[in-house]
Amino acid sequence: MSEPLELSKKYQHMVTQCSRCGFCRAVCPIFDITKNWATNAGGKMVLIKEIIDGKIEPSEGIVKSLLRCTTCMNCTTNCPSGVDPPEVIRATRKDMVNLGYDNMFKAMSDAIAKTGNIYGEEEKYDWGHKNERASYILFVGCVGTYREEESVEETINLLDILGVKFTMIDEVCCSGVLEDVGYQAHEELARHNINEFHRTGAKALITTCPYCYRVFKNHPFYKELNLELKHITQFLAEHDFKVKTDKKVTYHDPCDLGRHEGIYEEPRQIIRKIAPNFVEPERTREHAMCCGAGGGFRGSSPKESITIARTRLRKIMEETGAEILLTECPSCLHNFRNAKLRKWNIEIYNITEFIGKLYKEMDVRENVAA
Amino acid sequence: MNTMHEFIDIVGEDNFSDKIEDRIPYSYDASINVYRPDALIWPETAEQISQIVTIANQKGVPIIPRGAGTSLSGGVIAIEGGIVIDVSKMDKIIEIKIEDRYATVQPGVICDNLNKELSRYNFIFPPDPASSSVATIGGNVATNAGGIKGAKYGTTRDYVLGLEVVIPTGEIMHTGAHTMKCVSGYDLPKLFTGSEGTLGVITEVTLKINPIPLHAMTAMATFGCLEDAGHAISETMTKSNLIPSVMEILDKVTLTSIRENTSLEFPECEAMLLTETDGYTWQEVEAQMMVILEIFKKNNPLAIKTAKEEKERMELWEARKTAYATLSRISSGVLDDVTVPISKITDLLTGIQEISQRHGLVIGTYGHAGDGNLHPQILYDSYNPEQVKKMEMVESDLFHLAISLKGTLTGEHGIGLSKADYMGLEHDKVEIEVMKKIKKALDPNNIMNPGKMALHF
Amino acid sequence: MEIEGYNFPEGLYYEKNHFWARLEGDLVVMGMNDYAQLLSGEIVYVGLPPLGKKLKQGKNFTKMESGKWLGKVYAVVSGELVEVNEELEENAKLINDDPFGKGWMFKIKPDNLDELENLMTDPDEIAEWLKAEIAEHGVAS
Repeated sequence: MSEPLELSKKYQHMVTQCSRCGFCRAVCPIFDITKNWATNAGGKMVLIKEIIDGKIEPSEGIVKSLLRCTTCMNCTTNCPSGVDPPEVIRATRKDMVNLGYDNMFKAMSDAIAKTGNIYGEEEKYDWGHKNERASYILFVGCVGTYREEESVEETINLLDILGVKFTMIDEVCCSGVLEDVGYQAHEELARHNINEFHRTGAKALITTCPYCYRVFKNHPFYKELNLELKHITQFLAEHDFKVKTDKKVTYHDPCDLGRHEGIYEEPRQIIRKIAPNFVEPERTREHAMCCGAGGGFRGSSPKESITIARTRLRKIMEETGAEILLTECPSCLHNFRNAKLRKWNIEIYNITEFIGKLYKEMDVRENVAA
Repeated sequence: MNTMHEFIDIVGEDNFSDKIEDRIPYSYDASINVYRPDALIWPETAEQISQIVTIANQKGVPIIPRGAGTSLSGGVIAIEGGIVIDVSKMDKIIEIKIEDRYATVQPGVICDNLNKELSRYNFIFPPDPASSSVATIGGNVATNAGGIKGAKYGTTRDYVLGLEVVIPTGEIMHTGAHTMKCVSGYDLPKLFTGSEGTLGVITEVTLKINPIPLHAMTAMATFGCLEDAGHAISETMTKSNLIPSVMEILDKVTLTSIRENTSLEFPECEAMLLTETDGYTWQEVEAQMMVILEIFKKNNPLAIKTAKEEKERMELWEARKTAYATLSRISSGVLDDVTVPISKITDLLTGIQEISQRHGLVIGTYGHAGDGNLHPQILYDSYNPEQVKKMEMVESDLFHLAISLKGTLTGEHGIGLSKADYMGLEHDKVEIEVMKKIKKALDPNNIMNPGKMALHF
Repeated sequence: MEIEGYNFPEGLYYEKNHFWARLEGDLVVMGMNDYAQLLSGEIVYVGLPPLGKKLKQGKNFTKMESGKWLGKVYAVVSGELVEVNEELEENAKLINDDPFGKGWMFKIKPDNLDELENLMTDPDEIAEWLKAEIAEHGVAS
C-alpha cells in the first residue's frame, strides 16, 4: 500500500521552483480558450503545491481540474524555471486515483481490458493484411482503426504501392494513455502485442500513431520488444515518391511526435519531396500549438478539445493561407476533422494518406490517358 | 437575492466560479503573498464590470482587478477576500490610428500581442517589462510598468493618453484625450496609472505609440568589479551627451545561474552590462555606440562584444528577460525593485552585496541600471522558518538602504502588499494623508482592492 | 407522447436506428430521438456531408460523436440531401437540448414518399421496439 501523495511529493522541489512568472500562459492550448488561470500550468503548480504541503484536501472538483491538461509540454518548453508541469500533473493524477478518486478513465481502463481498444468497441476490426514473410510489422492503433479508418486504409495502400513487405497483426491497445490519466497500462495486453510481433518473424515495427510509438519505445512493459522501432515518418523519410502537388501545403507537428520525441525533420523531409510549395505555421516545431486531443483531454472534455483544434486550425489558415494541412497522428487528424467548419476550404490529411491519394489520382490520370 | 447569483446573472454561469479548484490558483501572483478570494469573474464588457462594481459597492464586497497576475508585489491578492475580476477575456485591440499616433485597447490585451500588431505599421509601444509575453496592458497601466527600454523611452505613464475606468462606486468614467498633449482638467490618466487597481477597474486604454527606430545595435561588456560597472553606467547616462535606449546590468550570481541553465555562454565576471543604441541611420547608431564603448573602456572592462544582427541581439536579450525565472531554479525568491538616483547606482550595488554577506543569503541582482532601478532577487528556502526571517530582514535592509540613498522602495513593481509596511519610510505623513483622502473620495466603502499600499482608512 | 418515459412526439415517423422523420412541405426532415440523445451523452460532433449527396433508406451516410461514443447516422428515406443544420457545427449539443426542434439534423428531398411506411408511427409498435432497445442498451438519463 503506497503512501498518500507519494508520487506528487517527489515533485515538491519542482513545484517550488515555479516562480509564477506566467510564461506558460502564452503557450497553453486550454488557457488559450478559457482564460482561466486554473487551467494553466502555473495555476496547477500552485494547486499541487498546496496539496503536497497539506494546505488543501483533495476533492472531486480538484481531481476534475487536474484532468484539464493535454500534457502537450508547450509549457515545459517555454518555462524558464525548469518546471515540467505535465510530469507533475501525471504524478498527482495517479496519487488521486490511489486515494480513491476514480475518474472517468476507470471506465476506459475497464473497456480496454474487456475489448482491447480505448473505445470499448465490441466489434473488433480486423485489418487482415497478414503476410508470412514480412520484413516489417505495421501497427496502427485504436484511434486510427476506430475513428479514422479511411486514413489508415490510404496509408496501407501507400505501403503496398511502394512495395513495402509488411504484415499487420491482431492488435490490442498499447494502453499507454492510462498512465497519463492516473491509471496503469495493461501488462497482459503488452504481452499479447509482443507475442504477436515476435510470431511474425519480422525484425522491425512501424507505427502510424505517435502515441503508440512513445509507449513501445519508453514503457517498461515493452522492454522485451526487441524490434527496430520507427514511426512511419521515420520509415518513409528516405523513400522517393513519384507524385507531387503544387498546392500550398503546411504541416502541424503532433505533440507526441515533436515535443515528446523530437521527430521534426522526417515528416518535413517527406513533405518537401512531394510538396515544394511548403509553408510553416508561425507556431511550429517545438513551439507548435497543441490540437487539444492529448493527455486524455479529448475523452474528458471533448467539446473544449474540438474548440482548441478549431482555434489552431483557424490560426494556421490565417497565417499560411495553405490549401492542405498535413500531420501524421490519428488523434490530431480526428480532432482537426471534427473541428473544421464547412465554409473553410482547407483539406486535412495525414501525410501518408495524402501521398496515397496522390498516387490514386495519378493512376486515374494514367488510366484515362491510356 | 444572494450576491453571487446577482453576479452570475450579469456575466453568465460560464464566467463565474466559486469552486475551490479555481480559487486556489487565483490566491497567488508572482509575489509570496497568498490569500484566497471568494469568487472569480471573467467579464467581457465595461458595462458588466460597472454592474458588478455597483453591487459590490452597495454590499461592501471587495473587488480585485487582475490581468495576467504576474504582479511581483501582491497587487492582485485578495487580502480581504472578495471577488477577483479577471479581464483576460477583454483582449481586443479596438483601434490603431497611425495618423493620430495612438492605439486603443481593452485591458486584457497582452503587451507583446499589441506590439506584434503595431509592428505591421512599423510602430511600437515602448515599455517592455520582462513579462511582456503574458502581461496585460491593464496590468501595465495599473503598475506603471517599466521595462528594459525605460532608460530612453520611459515608462507606461509616459504613453497613457486616455482611460476608461469603472470607478469604485460603479460608474464608467472616460478621461484623457486622443491628442498628444492635454492639460484640460486634472490629469486623471496619470493618477490612475500606477494606482495598482485601488481606484477603479481599467476597461479601456488609449496609448501613444512610437515609430520603431530603423536600426539598433547591442553591446555587452563584462567587468571584474562592481564599482567599475557602476561608474561605467553613471558616466554613460550623464557624461556622454546621449541616452542609450537600454542600459541593463546582470551580476555574478545571476550570470552563473543563466550559464548553468541555458545554452548561453558568458565569461566569468563580477558584472555584465547590456546596452543598446538606436536611431534612424546606422551611422548615428554606431557613432553613439562608439561613445559608450569608449566610456566602458575607461572603466577596466574584461571583454566587450557588439551585435548588429537581429538573431545575436535577441540571444543577449533572452538571457536578461529570463533572469528572474532562471534564478528561481536555485530556490524560491523574492524579487524587489529598489531604485536610486543614477549617481548612487554603485553605492546601491555594493550595498546589496554587503547586505547579502551580512545576513548570509544569496542575492542575484540585475536590472535597469540606466534609470537606477535594480532588481535584487533574494534567494531563500521558503520551507525553512529561519531563512524566511532572514529574507524579511534582508528586505528591510534593502529598503532602508535605498531610502538612505534618496531612492524609492519601488521603481516599477508597485507597493501592493509586499512593501506596504514600508510606506512610512519613504512618504511623509502629509503625503500619505493626501493619498488616503483621494482613496476615500473615490472609494468611500473601501471595496476597490482594499488593503494595498497601506492606504487604510 | 411519452413512451417508457421518453419523449416521442406524435406526427413523426420513427426508425429503428433511433432517428425520426417529419414531412415538411415536400422535404423530409430527420433527427435523433430522445432516448438516443440521452444514452449517448453530450453530442460534440456531427459530420455534415456536402449537399446533393444521394442517400438510401437504411444506409448510413455520416457519423456523429459524443464524448464516449461514435455512431453511424442512417438515412430515414432515400433521396437527395438538400439541407444540413449548420448550427450543429459549433453547437452539436442542440441535438441533446432540443432533439425534435432546433436539433434537427438533415433535410432530404425524397425519391419516394411511400418509403415512410417502412417507419414506425404506431405507439404500441414503438413501445415494443423501445423496450427491446432498453433491455439491450440500458435505461438512459
